[in-house]
Amino acid sequence: MRSKKIGLHTFMAVPAFVLYGLFFIYPLCKGIGMSFTNWDGLHPAQFVGLQNFLDFFHDKRALHDVITTVVFAAGSATLLNVVGLIYALLMNSKFKGKSFARMCIYMPAIISPLIMGYIWYLLLQPQRGFVYHMMLRMGKEAMFPNWLGSFGSVMLTLVLVNVWQYAGMTMVVYLAGLQSIPVELYESAKIDGANGRQCFKYVTMPLLGTSIRINIVTNIIGSLSVFDIIMSLTGGGPGYQTESLSIYIMRMCYGSKTGYSTAVAMILFIIILVPVLISMRLTRQKGDD
Amino acid sequence: MRHVWKTLRMLLIVCICFISLVPFYILLVLSLNSPSRNFYEGNMFVPDFSLANYREGWEKASIGRAMINSGWITIIALLIIVVFGAMAGYAIGRYRNKFNLIGYYIMIGCMMIPAIIITVPLYSLMIKLHAINTLWGMGCVCAVSALPQAIFIFTGFVRQLPVEIEEAAIIDGCSKWKCFWKIVFPLLKPSISAVIILNGFGIWNNYAQAVFFLQDPKMHNVPLALSVYFQQFAGAHWNLMAATAVIAIIPVLVVFLIFQKNLMSGLTDGAVKG
Repeated sequence: MRSKKIGLHTFMAVPAFVLYGLFFIYPLCKGIGMSFTNWDGLHPAQFVGLQNFLDFFHDKRALHDVITTVVFAAGSATLLNVVGLIYALLMNSKFKGKSFARMCIYMPAIISPLIMGYIWYLLLQPQRGFVYHMMLRMGKEAMFPNWLGSFGSVMLTLVLVNVWQYAGMTMVVYLAGLQSIPVELYESAKIDGANGRQCFKYVTMPLLGTSIRINIVTNIIGSLSVFDIIMSLTGGGPGYQTESLSIYIMRMCYGSKTGYSTAVAMILFIIILVPVLISMRLTRQKGDD
Repeated sequence: MRHVWKTLRMLLIVCICFISLVPFYILLVLSLNSPSRNFYEGNMFVPDFSLANYREGWEKASIGRAMINSGWITIIALLIIVVFGAMAGYAIGRYRNKFNLIGYYIMIGCMMIPAIIITVPLYSLMIKLHAINTLWGMGCVCAVSALPQAIFIFTGFVRQLPVEIEEAAIIDGCSKWKCFWKIVFPLLKPSISAVIILNGFGIWNNYAQAVFFLQDPKMHNVPLALSVYFQQFAGAHWNLMAATAVIAIIPVLVVFLIFQKNLMSGLTDGAVKG
C-alpha cells in the first residue's frame, strides 16, 4: 500500500474512533469532572472540590462495600484461575466424550449471571430451597449451612457460584495455551529424565504465560466490577453486607447523589487499575512490549 | 499405576460435568412442578410435568417482547462492532500514521476500564441524545465497551494478511474501498466469528447497563424483564420463577448448541491471538 495519494481509506478508523470518543472517552472525562461536584441530577451542579472523596472515607457503607468487592475479587479471581487450570489440565488429553465434557463445563458461562444467581437462589434459599429440602429428606437438615448467616459464608457462596459459572471460560483460555505447547518439548524433557511434576513446572507453566496473563487480568476486572450475580443472589443483603461498589454506584445515582456516585466510580477505577497493572507487570515476559 | 490414574481422571471429569449440569436439571424439575406441589411429597427429582407454568410465565413476564428487544440490541451492537471494528482494524493495521496509532493506543489503554465506571455520566449524555429507552442507544452502549478488544483482534489479524493480494487487486483496477469490502473483509472471517462469540452472549445478557438505559418496561431486555418479574413474586410461586428462567435460557442454549463446535474453536483462536 505504497500509494502517495492520501485517500479516504486511511481514515477508515474514524467511525470507530468517533463512536468510542462520544460514548466512552467523553463520559469518562465528564465523569472525572462530575466527581468534583455535588450534582443531584436535577439542579445545576456546584463545584465542591475534593469533598466527595473525603466523604467517601467517612462513608461506612462505602468502605464496607470496598471490602466486599475486594474480598469477592480476591477469592474468585484466585479460585477461577486455579480451578480453570485444573479443568484444562484434566481436559487436555484424548478421551471419549471430550467435546461433550467441554461443552458441559462451558455452558454455565453463556447464561446471564443474573439468571444464574436466581437459579442458585432457588436452590440454596435457607429453609425453603431445594438443597435444604433434600437434606431434610435425609434427616440432615441441621447440617444445612446457614450461608446467609455470616459475612464470611455469604461471600464464600457468592465466590463459589461465580467460580462455578465462569470456570469454563478460564478453562478454554488455558486449553488454548496448553494446545499451543509443542509436544516435542515434553518428549525432550522426558528424555532428559524429567518427571511429571518437573515437566509441569519447567515446560508447561512458563509457556502458559500469555494465557495466565489474559485470565488473571480479565478475572480481576470482571470480579471487581461484579454486579449481576450479587443483585440476584443476595440483592446486596443481608443489610448492605454483600453490596459491591458497582451496585453502590447505581443506588447512589438513583438516590440523586449523582456527583458522589461518579466519585465512587473513580475510586473503583483506581481499585481496578492498581491490581491490573501489578499483575501485568508480574506476568510480563520477554518479547512483550 | 497409569491405569488407575486414567480411571481416576475420567471419574473426576464425570463429576465436574455432573456439577455443571445438576443445577439446570433441578431448575427444570422446579419449573415443571404444579403450583400446589411442595417438596414434602413424592420423589423430589421427578417433576409432575405441569406445563401450565410455562404458559403463565410467558404471558406474565412478557419475556417474548424482551427477547425481541435483546435480539435487536445484540444485532445492532454486533453490526457496529464488526463493521466499524474491521474498518478500524484494517486502517490501523495497514496505515500506521500518527492519527491511527494514537487512537489505537487510547482504546487499548481504556480496554481495562469496565463499563460501570462511565455509566453515570453516560446516562446524562444519553438523555441529551434522546437515546434512553431506545434499542439503538443500548446497542451503541454495548458496542462501545466491546470495540477496543475487537479492534485489537482485527488489527492483529490484518497485519498477518499478505499485502500482495490487495496490491494485485488494485493493479487490476479495484478501488481501495472496494478492495477492503470485496477482498479483505471476507478474509477476516475467523476473527469476525471470534469477535461475535466473545461478545454476543454478553450483550444479550447485559444487565448492569440495561438497568440504567432501558427503564421503560416496553424496552426491557431479557435479564431486566426477568428481574422485574422475579421481584414481583419475591419468594412465592417458585414454579413460575423457574419456568420463566428456563424460557429465558432456551434461546441462548439453542444458539450455543448449534454453534458449539465453531464456538470452541473460535474462542480458542480469538484467545490465542488476543
